[in-house]
Amino acid sequence: MFLKVQSATNLGLETIGVDVEVNIASRGLPTFEIVGLPAKSVDESKERVRTAILNSGLEFPQKRITVNLAPADIPKEGSFYDLPIAVALLASVANFKIPENSLFFGELSLDGSLRHTRGGLLLALFAKENNFKNVFVPKDSANEAAVVRGVNIFPVESLSSLLSYLLNKSRIEPLEYRKEEVDTFKAKPDFDMAEILGQEQAKRAVEISSAGGHNILLLGSPGAGKTMLARALPGILPSLQEEESLEVTKIYSAAGKIPPGGSIITNCPYRSPHHTISGVGLIGGGSKPKPGEVSLAHRGVLFLDEFSEYPRSVMEVLRQPMEDGKLTISRTMISVDYPARFILVASANPCPCGYLMHPKKQCSCSEREIRKYKKRISGPIMDRIDLHIEVPVVDVKELAEDDNAKQFLEPSVKIRERVINARLLQKNRFINDGIFVNAEMKNEQIKKYCQLPKEAKQILISAANKFNLSARSYFKIIKVARTIADLENSLKIETSHIAEAIQYRFKEN
Amino acid sequence: MNNIIEINNNKYPELLKNVGKDAPKQLYYKGEWTDDLFENCLAVVGSRRMTTYGRQITQKLVSKIATNGITIVSGFMYGIDATAHKSAVDVGGKTIAVMPCGIDRVHPEYQVKLYNEILENNGLIVSEYEGDTMPAYWTYPQRNKIVAGLSKAVLVIEAGEKSGSLITANLAKKYIRKIFAVPGPLTSVLSYGTNQLIKNGEAEIVTSAEDILKFYDIGTTRSLASRCNEKLSFSGSLSENEILGQLQLEPMEIDSLSRKLNKNIQEISRLISFMEIKGQIKKENNKYYVS
Repeated sequence: MFLKVQSATNLGLETIGVDVEVNIASRGLPTFEIVGLPAKSVDESKERVRTAILNSGLEFPQKRITVNLAPADIPKEGSFYDLPIAVALLASVANFKIPENSLFFGELSLDGSLRHTRGGLLLALFAKENNFKNVFVPKDSANEAAVVRGVNIFPVESLSSLLSYLLNKSRIEPLEYRKEEVDTFKAKPDFDMAEILGQEQAKRAVEISSAGGHNILLLGSPGAGKTMLARALPGILPSLQEEESLEVTKIYSAAGKIPPGGSIITNCPYRSPHHTISGVGLIGGGSKPKPGEVSLAHRGVLFLDEFSEYPRSVMEVLRQPMEDGKLTISRTMISVDYPARFILVASANPCPCGYLMHPKKQCSCSEREIRKYKKRISGPIMDRIDLHIEVPVVDVKELAEDDNAKQFLEPSVKIRERVINARLLQKNRFINDGIFVNAEMKNEQIKKYCQLPKEAKQILISAANKFNLSARSYFKIIKVARTIADLENSLKIETSHIAEAIQYRFKEN
Repeated sequence: MNNIIEINNNKYPELLKNVGKDAPKQLYYKGEWTDDLFENCLAVVGSRRMTTYGRQITQKLVSKIATNGITIVSGFMYGIDATAHKSAVDVGGKTIAVMPCGIDRVHPEYQVKLYNEILENNGLIVSEYEGDTMPAYWTYPQRNKIVAGLSKAVLVIEAGEKSGSLITANLAKKYIRKIFAVPGPLTSVLSYGTNQLIKNGEAEIVTSAEDILKFYDIGTTRSLASRCNEKLSFSGSLSENEILGQLQLEPMEIDSLSRKLNKNIQEISRLISFMEIKGQIKKENNKYYVS
């Protein structure tokens, strides 16, 4: 008897349809074989399927069983072939018709129930694109798949409940389209901006950074509050727009990072790996390439604390994603693309001992050491950072009594409102350009959207002469000025916006 | 292009010859050796670990002194030495760098840009060592003998308790040269040496470039840079003057300015940019100074 059940496999963010063909021979000794380049996890599926069927009180065919995963030349990996194999086997004994136009996907537990399986969203998207009507997924992964409209998502609890549905004995209700926020990824800010005393310039720069998607470098002595600022950042990040949301959720789905019951990620991702991370950890990789931190931070923030401590080789891999917003990971068997458009928030000390700009402590580094230390962050990376801020050490006790300092304290919620508004302006502006934020502008768009008044141009040119600005710095200032104008709801870039942007330039000395 | 001046050559500077057995037998040099370069020399020495205060004072004093035709002699080390050379070159003044290593070596090598600037501006690089001899612990004090010997006076800007600059000051005393010292804040370890020189009466206190110019018997001509600044500060608005007023009291960070003047950071940033471009103020170590 020959049976065919349809399923799919995920390669990076791509999904490829897989036919699970099961043949049950009437002759020959009872065996159970899987062919079609199965990985270990697929091969072990035999034991899970057999035990799950028996433990559900159903009959396991004692015959010569051959399972072929077609196309047979693509390596198969993962545990989600359990369900399609089991369905085919059950169909051979229970005599029901395998529903047409349907995808089956899910890992079995030994007791016959279904477990949360990674990639549910990708599968549902694949089903929609390829006109499949029904998708059967584990109940825990159903919310994730139900984000996709126009496909019936059947949440399956166990093998026996699925069997009684297929035999028309009971019903499984397909899930409505829903958006269940994944709370787990709601990066809760550790601090409110209003809790940070002083640091007016740094706070302003962080606001500009999240409004326009600009990369930012915070430079300061230990204890200046760089990390505190970065930790408060999630509180002012806007929510993801629908399109962005789907992009991000796809990556998390492929990485298996969506928890059971969760569906879509609506918050800006915020990732802060430790500086001992490997290049592959940062960028993604493996023989079946998994997304790395840069992709997990897509449309969000990648916070790299103690940036100068990152090994040079690890730091340099950031160059391509910072420039292109995506990356391609190639391995012998496979090559996958992952998007990686993130805001880089980096913090670093000004010198090896850290106290170069400290008002009280003496820096104990020699000129040579400082030069060497500054060179740890390479030019090409520096070139891609728009905002360059020196964070001074503040006397908290003194500031706590300073009324003027308190006057400038703004809660994160209020700053966030401005950021959201600025993002909205940018979204409308770039509607036909395929970009989301000012930082992504290329020269062509700068020409189009950043007309400078004559006076502003003059100021910029004299600044370029005075501070020896490179051509790239020149354009960075314009981009930042565009964001400053957006924060003020101003359609035009004014001279004052340029003047402020000049303060955040990369300072060389 | 190895140029040597032997001690019996009549081009050998008189002042240096007079220090007796401390005078090196021969001087290797790069650049153009002219007699008027050695006419009025001032040695400017100080700490390698220069503070912002030290840098400011060096720039201020040296640019004025060098504008008035006095040759600035120093040891080409980073810190005060390099700042002194640079300030002299920037105003088109004369300067002599005395190296602690062979004449063909640039030490420290990352200051090669300054090295070339000195040569391009008719300055002179001098050393008593030939070829690319490595600098050694003992060559630095040896070099100081030439620095002190060439000069009529020595100006000490920032010196710690056991600073090499004090060695130069002692040599100057031995050679009967005038010693000037810039007083520094009592809180700074780098002011200990200079303040001590003043306290002991070994050095004359310097509070302006005129103190030194008077010693060389030269009247002052105002530098080009200071004239430019005056013209620009004319356009200062009310708020700009407020900022200047604060910064004249004490250099500070932009955040402190914002709090002191009770203006939000955007407004201050915008003003500061204009003032920086106009050259009214300068940023160093994250603090703004009136320039």
